[in-house]
Amino acid sequence: MKTRITKTLLDAWAYTFDCYEGGEEDAMNDFIKTLNREPIEETEAIANGKAFENLVWDMAEGHEVTPGKWTEGARKIAEIVKGGQWQVHVATDVTVNGRVFWLHGFCDVVKAGVIYDIKFKAKSFNQLDLYGSYRGHSQHSAYLRCLPEAYEFVYLVSDGSDLYTEAYNRRTSRPIEEIIGEFMSWLESQPDLLKIYEEKWRVEE
Amino acid sequence: MIQHGYELDFSKQTFGVILYGAPGIGKTTLALSDGNNGADTLLIDLEHGIGRTNPIHRLNASVLSAATYEEVLADLNTPEAAAAKTIVIDTAGSLVDYLKDWAFRTKQDARTKAGTFNGLKGFGYVKSELESFVNKIKTVMNKNVVFIFHCDEKADKDGNPIQRLRCEGSFRNTVWTGIDFGAYIQMIGNKRVACFSPEDEFFAKGCHGISGHVEIPMLKDDVKNDFLQKLFDSARANMAQENEGVAEQITAYKGAMEAAKGMVEGVTDADTANACMKALLNLNHSLTSKTECAKLLNDKCKTLGLNFNKAEGAYVAGDAK
Repeated sequence: MKTRITKTLLDAWAYTFDCYEGGEEDAMNDFIKTLNREPIEETEAIANGKAFENLVWDMAEGHEVTPGKWTEGARKIAEIVKGGQWQVHVATDVTVNGRVFWLHGFCDVVKAGVIYDIKFKAKSFNQLDLYGSYRGHSQHSAYLRCLPEAYEFVYLVSDGSDLYTEAYNRRTSRPIEEIIGEFMSWLESQPDLLKIYEEKWRVEE
Repeated sequence: MIQHGYELDFSKQTFGVILYGAPGIGKTTLALSDGNNGADTLLIDLEHGIGRTNPIHRLNASVLSAATYEEVLADLNTPEAAAAKTIVIDTAGSLVDYLKDWAFRTKQDARTKAGTFNGLKGFGYVKSELESFVNKIKTVMNKNVVFIFHCDEKADKDGNPIQRLRCEGSFRNTVWTGIDFGAYIQMIGNKRVACFSPEDEFFAKGCHGISGHVEIPMLKDDVKNDFLQKLFDSARANMAQENEGVAEQITAYKGAMEAAKGMVEGVTDADTANACMKALLNLNHSLTSKTECAKLLNDKCKTLGLNFNKAEGAYVAGDAK
């Protein structure tokens, strides 16, 4: 049996261990929602992220935009991704401990061997410690595995004004097989959740 | 002057570096290691740390001491600054403090009515002045720039130690974007090591073949302090080598994308889309051009109301899937 797997599922699971103190129950509920493939409610953070990404897209495509509070940050990213392809679907089969997974997802931008992911932070960079914060994410491992011709994955993070970048290549990323392996070991210890996963994430051949 | 990728000369390539670690680990001495014992280096000593280095290993360095940010700026116009290949900022956290003082003294709205620093406005001035200062050193003066940071040990959620740069404002984040190498300096056993790859305890950055743990030689009086010089030379050599392979790939990539754009523009219906799909496959692909060309065509087809039929392996009109 082949099952789908995505960075969203893997990160929702990982967040149950890495969430802020006191947020464990919410994190587990969110993971179970993701596992059940329930639509995610659009929070303010998600809406802001989409609006910012649309602004970057408009600028990268050379459309006229009305100057606003995020223009400076969006311009810095637009200059980097200009000329790339947006929302590129990537997929590959990955075998872990004899199980076959269809690993797939959408890259924000692909350009000249580099995958870019745009992130928006509502908090000013003055108040954040960002560096290294994406190291534990599965996204770069997953997408670099799906797109073997890409040599680098770059997170482009903005607070609407500043730009922070964090880049990973295959040498600095954990193999996705390792991450999937850990996820499955955990899931196999939770028979009810494993059943949900096998039902809801099964790939119809 | 326009050059082809394969013509690029990296022998004078300059770099941005972050060095951070615990007090006494030898960050300043290490930062003075471009050239023979600091021969090519100007140290902007904002914490008076130069006195703590071995005189032999700073013998040839120029040292700039300043009481205010304005004095730092003025000294950047001296012959010593012009002659240096590398400018060291010791420490970047102190430079931000100097800039806070500068903003407080010179910008009215960087002060609150109570006479304290207005963080919201003040850090805006600090940020833009810092950007222009770093840009001047890196781009206008074309120097290597080394930022020394102290670090603070904090605990992660599980109580494990993590090392963070000691610096106020957004610079502790944005500084990583413009730099090539970021090393956490630590003792491992009895060896001093510069770590260029991120680990659970600290963040780091490497490129051009510089990664992982690099041992810093024990400095005796008769040993040259030239770690950074060797690092830069090695990175330049690696860049030249990388460029030989990459320049060809980039040329092929650009050629494929240029050709694809013209071909996709000519798509008007399912027949031309399918012909284009075949032609795109025959291009000389490089890097991610094959995936990007497929996306380019797919986007065009969507605007024409064409869908890709997986079973037929072809674009068809309507909503067939």
